[in-house]
Amino acid sequence: MRDLPPAGELAELARRLLLDELTPLLPEERRRDAHLVATVLAMLRREQAAGDGPACEVAALLRAFYREGEASLARLAADLRRGEFETSLSRERAARAILWRLTILKLREANPQFLAAHGIV
Amino acid sequence: MAVTALPPSDRLARFLAAETGASQVCIAGLALMRGGAIQENWAVDAEFAGGRLAGRQRLVLRRDAMTGIPSSLSRLDEFAVLQAAFAAGVAAPEPLFACADPAVFGKPFFVMRRLPGTAEGRVVTAGKDLDALAAQLGAELARLQAVRGPGFLRRDSTAERIAGFRTYLDRHPQPRPVLEWALRWLDTHLPEPLPPVLCHRDFRTGNYLVDDGRLAGILDWEFAGIGDPDEDIGWFCCKGWRFARLDREAGGIAARAPFYRGYERVSGRMPDPARVRFWEVFANLRWAIIALQQSDRFIDGGEASLSTAITGRRATECELELLMLLDPEGAPRA
Repeated sequence: MRDLPPAGELAELARRLLLDELTPLLPEERRRDAHLVATVLAMLRREQAAGDGPACEVAALLRAFYREGEASLARLAADLRRGEFETSLSRERAARAILWRLTILKLREANPQFLAAHGIV
Repeated sequence: MAVTALPPSDRLARFLAAETGASQVCIAGLALMRGGAIQENWAVDAEFAGGRLAGRQRLVLRRDAMTGIPSSLSRLDEFAVLQAAFAAGVAAPEPLFACADPAVFGKPFFVMRRLPGTAEGRVVTAGKDLDALAAQLGAELARLQAVRGPGFLRRDSTAERIAGFRTYLDRHPQPRPVLEWALRWLDTHLPEPLPPVLCHRDFRTGNYLVDDGRLAGILDWEFAGIGDPDEDIGWFCCKGWRFARLDREAGGIAARAPFYRGYERVSGRMPDPARVRFWEVFANLRWAIIALQQSDRFIDGGEASLSTAITGRRATECELELLMLLDPEGAPRA
């Protein structure tokens, strides 16, 4: 229904234009702001490309983990606060796996360079 | 340094003249400085005609931004902490005047001398052979922790501060299970407390000035409080403050050893790695909460600053570091 090209691709073009052509024209003290705008455009594009995929993946992991009842991050957070899984190594390990996946999925959108700097892709 | 529309510089000039006994003060330059994630720092170049600061002076005026975060001291209290530290000989900008009257410059503020050098984290960490600087910073940290802080400073126990983080998360609109997991770890691994000292609580690369490879002064005292001396060490070494040099564990400038040796030389105590690890976990948690609070200033407080609004996204970087610090099995393999 939307016209082409997709807004995500336009955002990437805008980011390149900003970094390659406009930023060099700015006074030094405003270049950091331009880089921040470029960061937001990149984040926007990655979030748009990923769509609901990350949220669906985490939801599926939570459903598999809890099997019954509410399967939400709020429940996981509350359980971790209470130390709910500390008596079962396998449950604790499974909970940790969700925490890793959640964090990696968020950083893939927000700051993939940070993940790469830690050897995680 | 961005030049912005001049605020009421005539009122500021009158204030400076009254404080110093100058017959007149001419403000030749007034510009908002870069940095200062929570407060505003203004570079002030002023010519004093007579009085105790006669001549041209390079000053910094520090005042509240439009919104703040809860753990930050008021400017007048920060001024009192800086006075105590400076009087004790800690390398810091000389505090000169404080003003509670918002009619002078929009909000309460204080004025200090402007020291030479750069605090820019990426510039500082780009330097080579910074072991001597790391040792100097360790020694200076020990010196500042020996200062008798003003009586109004908070003395919350570590357990109380952990409880404060939970209270914040209870109000936060999104669940943060990684932070909950780390808070639980902190709760169950509290170290035996050391005698409380003055803690800077933001002692890190980006908050000290380096001039010609040497420490010129420690900045930004707004989070100071009374607490465990290793808190400042954990904060300084926490990965979030290493900028582009994640491999240099002491603030992105050196290995830990020279920093620790400098600290030991003045304090007489070599930091215990197990205690410092606790405080590094604490540091990542605290930094995550501060990052979220920075975004709150946009979400709830209407502070329309992109750099402030985007800071909350950095909380997830702290969460990755918490997982790396606390998961005995390490990061999952791809």
